[in-house]
Amino acid sequence: MKTTRREIMMFAGGSAVGVLFTPAPWRLITDTALWSENWPGIPVPARGEIRARYTNCSLCPAGCAVRARCVGDQPVALAGVAGHPLSHGALCPFGLAGHHLPYLPSRVKQGPVKEAAAAVADGIAKCGPAEYIVTLDLRPARTASWTYRRAMAAIKNGRYVTPSYDPPVAVDFAKARTPSSDRSAAVDLAKAPTHPSDAWMAADLTRARTPSSDAWMAVDLTRARTPSSDGSAAVHLAKAPTPSSNAWMAADLTKARTPSSDRSAAVDLAKAPAHSSDAWVAVDLARARTPSSDASVAVDLTKARTVLSLGVALLDGWGTPGNVIAARPGFRLIQAEAVESRTASMADWWLRIRPGSEDALAQGLAGTLTRAAAAEATGLAESEIAALAAELKDNGPVLVLGSSRLESTGRTIVTRRETPVPAEWRKAAPVTGLASLPDGSIRVLIIDESTPGAYLPWKAIEKKLVADNPVVVALAWSREGYGRHAQYVLPVGVYPEVAGDIPPAIDSVAATFRISTPLVAAPGGCVKPEEFIAGAAGLPLTDTLHERADAIHKTGRGTLFTYADAKSAALKDISAEDFWKALNAGGCWIDTPDDKAAVARLAPTVAQPRSSEESELPLAVVLSQELTPASPILSKLYQESNLRLGPNRVALPPSSGLEDGTQATLQTVLGKCAVQVTLDAGVPAGLVRVSASPAILDLCADGARAKVVRA
Amino acid sequence: MISANKQIRAARYGMTIDVDRCNGCGACMVACSIENNVPPAHEGATDRKGLTWIRVYKVDNGEEYPNRRTAFVPVMCQHCGHDTPCVHVCPQQAVDVDPATGVVGEMPQRCLGCRYCVAACPYHARYFNWWDPAWPAGMEKTLNPGVTPRMRGVVEKCNLCHGRWHAAKELAAAAGKPDTEPVDYVPACAEACPTGAIQFGDLNDHASLPAKAAAEPGSFRLLEKLGTEPKIYYRSKKDWVRGIAAAPRPGAAGKETVRG
Repeated sequence: MKTTRREIMMFAGGSAVGVLFTPAPWRLITDTALWSENWPGIPVPARGEIRARYTNCSLCPAGCAVRARCVGDQPVALAGVAGHPLSHGALCPFGLAGHHLPYLPSRVKQGPVKEAAAAVADGIAKCGPAEYIVTLDLRPARTASWTYRRAMAAIKNGRYVTPSYDPPVAVDFAKARTPSSDRSAAVDLAKAPTHPSDAWMAADLTRARTPSSDAWMAVDLTRARTPSSDGSAAVHLAKAPTPSSNAWMAADLTKARTPSSDRSAAVDLAKAPAHSSDAWVAVDLARARTPSSDASVAVDLTKARTVLSLGVALLDGWGTPGNVIAARPGFRLIQAEAVESRTASMADWWLRIRPGSEDALAQGLAGTLTRAAAAEATGLAESEIAALAAELKDNGPVLVLGSSRLESTGRTIVTRRETPVPAEWRKAAPVTGLASLPDGSIRVLIIDESTPGAYLPWKAIEKKLVADNPVVVALAWSREGYGRHAQYVLPVGVYPEVAGDIPPAIDSVAATFRISTPLVAAPGGCVKPEEFIAGAAGLPLTDTLHERADAIHKTGRGTLFTYADAKSAALKDISAEDFWKALNAGGCWIDTPDDKAAVARLAPTVAQPRSSEESELPLAVVLSQELTPASPILSKLYQESNLRLGPNRVALPPSSGLEDGTQATLQTVLGKCAVQVTLDAGVPAGLVRVSASPAILDLCADGARAKVVRA
Repeated sequence: MISANKQIRAARYGMTIDVDRCNGCGACMVACSIENNVPPAHEGATDRKGLTWIRVYKVDNGEEYPNRRTAFVPVMCQHCGHDTPCVHVCPQQAVDVDPATGVVGEMPQRCLGCRYCVAACPYHARYFNWWDPAWPAGMEKTLNPGVTPRMRGVVEKCNLCHGRWHAAKELAAAAGKPDTEPVDYVPACAEACPTGAIQFGDLNDHASLPAKAAAEPGSFRLLEKLGTEPKIYYRSKKDWVRGIAAAPRPGAAGKETVRG
C-alpha cells in the first residue's frame, strides 16, 4: 500500500484534532505549572537544623527583644520575646523584617578606607586654632558614643556633636514653684558681663522688672555665653519677686549652652517663692539632663490617667511600642494633630489642629495665651480648648507629650539613672550641638550613620564646614543619607551584623543595658565606626561593651532578664563572666528602680516666625516618620497597599487636583525634589504629608511650607 | 486530605480580629509575607497587582471632622465554610476545603491561572502572581524552609500558615499524639500582632479564646448575608464598623471610604 502525501497530512490533522479530546494536552498544561515551580528563577529555601537565637533590635531606641528562627546560622524569621518586661513580646513591622537588611540592594559594600583615614589624619594635622575636628553621632548615648567622645577628647579641638543637642541642664524640680505676678521679669543675658574661667554667669533677677501685666518673665539664655572655657551659665531665680498669680516663669533652657565646656547650666528653682496654684513654671527642659547626678528624664506611662499627645506618634513607634500598648488601657489618649495619623485614629479624642500650632495649644491650656488667641492659632473652637483644659484638670495625673517637649502632673515624668560606665571613660569630650560651632569652622567631619537616628539637614551642616577643602567622611550603609554629600563613604555593618548596645528608650523608667548580638557576619569590606574614629585619634581600642558590662556588674544593682527561659535573676547572684555571656546570648539588664524624683511641669517654647517667602507657599508640611533602612518586604505596606507612605511619596487630599500616582515635584524654600502623589482623604486641604526620607528632610521640617506641582 | 476511614475529631480553625484594637501597624502583613515566602513587590506592582495574603484596610465613616471616625480592618481569606465560592468555580480542583481543619487550601501546582476564583471571591482575598517571584540578591537565604515559593501565573492566598500547621503535626506525632487530633499552633499574623487584636484557635473548641470571642456581642463576619459562613470573625463596639462589614465591599454602599 502506498501512502500518499495527502493521507499523511490527513492523518496528522486528524491526530491533532483527536488529541484534543484526550486528557494529554490538558494534563500537559497542568504539568507546565509543576515544571515552572522548579525553574531556575524560583529560589529554593535553605534546609537545615531549625533553632532559635536571641538578640535585640537596634533599628530604633526601643531596642525590642528578638527571637530569631534560624536555619543553621541563617535567620529566616524574627519575632518578639514573650514575657519581656519592656517590649512585652511586640515587634514592629520594621523589626520583623530586620534580617533582610544585610541584603539591601542599595547597600554600600566597598569604600576608600585607607584614603579616608589618610585624609582625616591630614585634616587633623592641618587643623587651625579656630577649627574643629567633629564626630557627628546620629544615635548618642551608646557605648560607641562614649568611644567617640573619648576619641574627640584625645584630639586637639575635637568636638562630639549630636543632632538633638541635649544641653546639660541641672534643675531641681522637686520644689519648683511658680512665681506669680502681673509683672514679668526680663533678663537679657547677652549683656551680662563676662567672667573669668571656671566662673559662673549669675543673673540676679531680683531687680528685673517689666511693668506691664500679662507679661512673661523671660530669661533668654540663647545669648548666654561664658566666653572662657569651662564656664557655665547659672540663673538664680530664688529672689525673683513675682507676687501675683497667672504669670509664668519662662526660661527657655533648650538653647542654653556651655559650648566650650562640659559644665552645665543650673537653674535652682527650689528656692523660687511659692505662688498661686494656677500658675506654671514654664521651662522647656524636654531634653534636660542632670549630668552631675547621672540621671536623665524618662516617662512613666503607667502612672498617667490622661495623655495629651501634641502630634507624637504615640501608637506608631514612639518609645517602646510593646510598653506603650501594655500601658494603653490605663490612660485616656487625646491626640492633637493636624492629620489623621494612626495615633489620631486610635485616640479617644482627636483634636485636629493646624500644623505647627502644638505650642499655641499648650500655651492656651496653660493660660499664657488667651483662649481666643490659642483658638485662632490652632483652628480649634474656644469651647474645645476649655473642655480639654477641664479634662486635664479633672483627670490627672496628666502627661503631655510633644515632639521635643514634655509636661506632666504627678509622677509621670521622672528622673532615670544613667547606665553605668567605667570611671576612666568620664574623661570624655562633652556633648555639644552643631549650633554651638561657628560657621566655617569644621575642618574634619566624621558622621556615624551606621544606626538609624535623628537627621540634621545638610544645609545646617554645610555652613559649618571650612571653606577650603573640608574632609567629610560618612560611615554609612548606603549613599541615600549623608553619603550623597560626603567625599568618603565607608561601608559599615547593618543590623543584625554588628554588636552594639541600645540606650534605654524614653519610656523606660529604669536604666537598661542590652546588646544587639550579630546574627550574621558583615561583608569583608565593612568598617567598624568605633575602630575608625578611635584609630584616627590614636585611642587604643578595647572591648568597650565588655568593659561596660563589667562596670554594670560591679554595681551589683538590678536584674538580668534572659530571653531563652524568660526568667529574671538578681545581678548580684550572677558572676561577671556569666553576665557577659547572658548578654550576648540574649539578655537585658534592668536597673533597680530608683527613688525617682518627679519632674514638674514642662512647657513648650514659642515657634519661630516664618519668612515671607515661605509664607507664600500654599501647603503646610506634616512629616511622616518611617524607619530607614527598611526591608524591601515593607513594599507590602506602601506599594502593594496604601497602609503607609512609601519613600519619596507625599499624601494630598483628593481635592488637590492631582491624581493618585502622579509624578510631582515638592518645592520648599530650601529646594525641590521629585515625589509621587498618593491621595488620602485623611489629609485635610492645605496640608501635605510627606515621607521623611533624607532627601526630603534636607528640604523641610515639620510645619514648614511647601508646594506640590505636577512634574 | 484525611481519608474517610479515619475517625477524626475535625477542627474548625478560625480567628477573631478585634477591630477596636488594631492600630494598623502592618506587622501582620510583613510577618505573613516572611512566613509564606511572598516576594517583595515587583517594580510594576501596585495595590491592585501586589501580593498581600493579609491586607489591612483603613476605613472611615465618611463624615467630616469632628465626626470623622476611622478604623483598621485586616482582611485575609475568610475560609468560607459553606458554598465556598472559589471552590465552586475552580476548573482544576486546585482549591479545596480540608475537612480536618476547615482551612480553604490552594494548590498552586494545579492552578492554571484562570483567575475565576479571584473574580468569585467576595472578599477580594485572592492574589495572582503576575511576575516571577524574585528577591534581591542574597535575600533568598532568608526564605522559610517550610514553604515553597509559588511560580508566576498562579493564584495564592492565606492558608492559615499551613507550614506551621504541618510543623505542629510533626511535633505532635513525635510526642506520640494521634494524628487524628487537632493541634495547637499560631499563624504568623496572630503571633506578630503587637496589640493582640488577632486571636487564633479552634472554633469547635468552645473553651478557646476565638470561640468565646466569636460568641460575644459585637462579633460579626464580613458579608454574612451571603451565607458563606466565614471562619474569620471580627469584633467592634462601633456600629458604623459593623455596618461597613455588611456592605458588598468596604466603601461601596455608603459614603465611607476605604484605603488599603
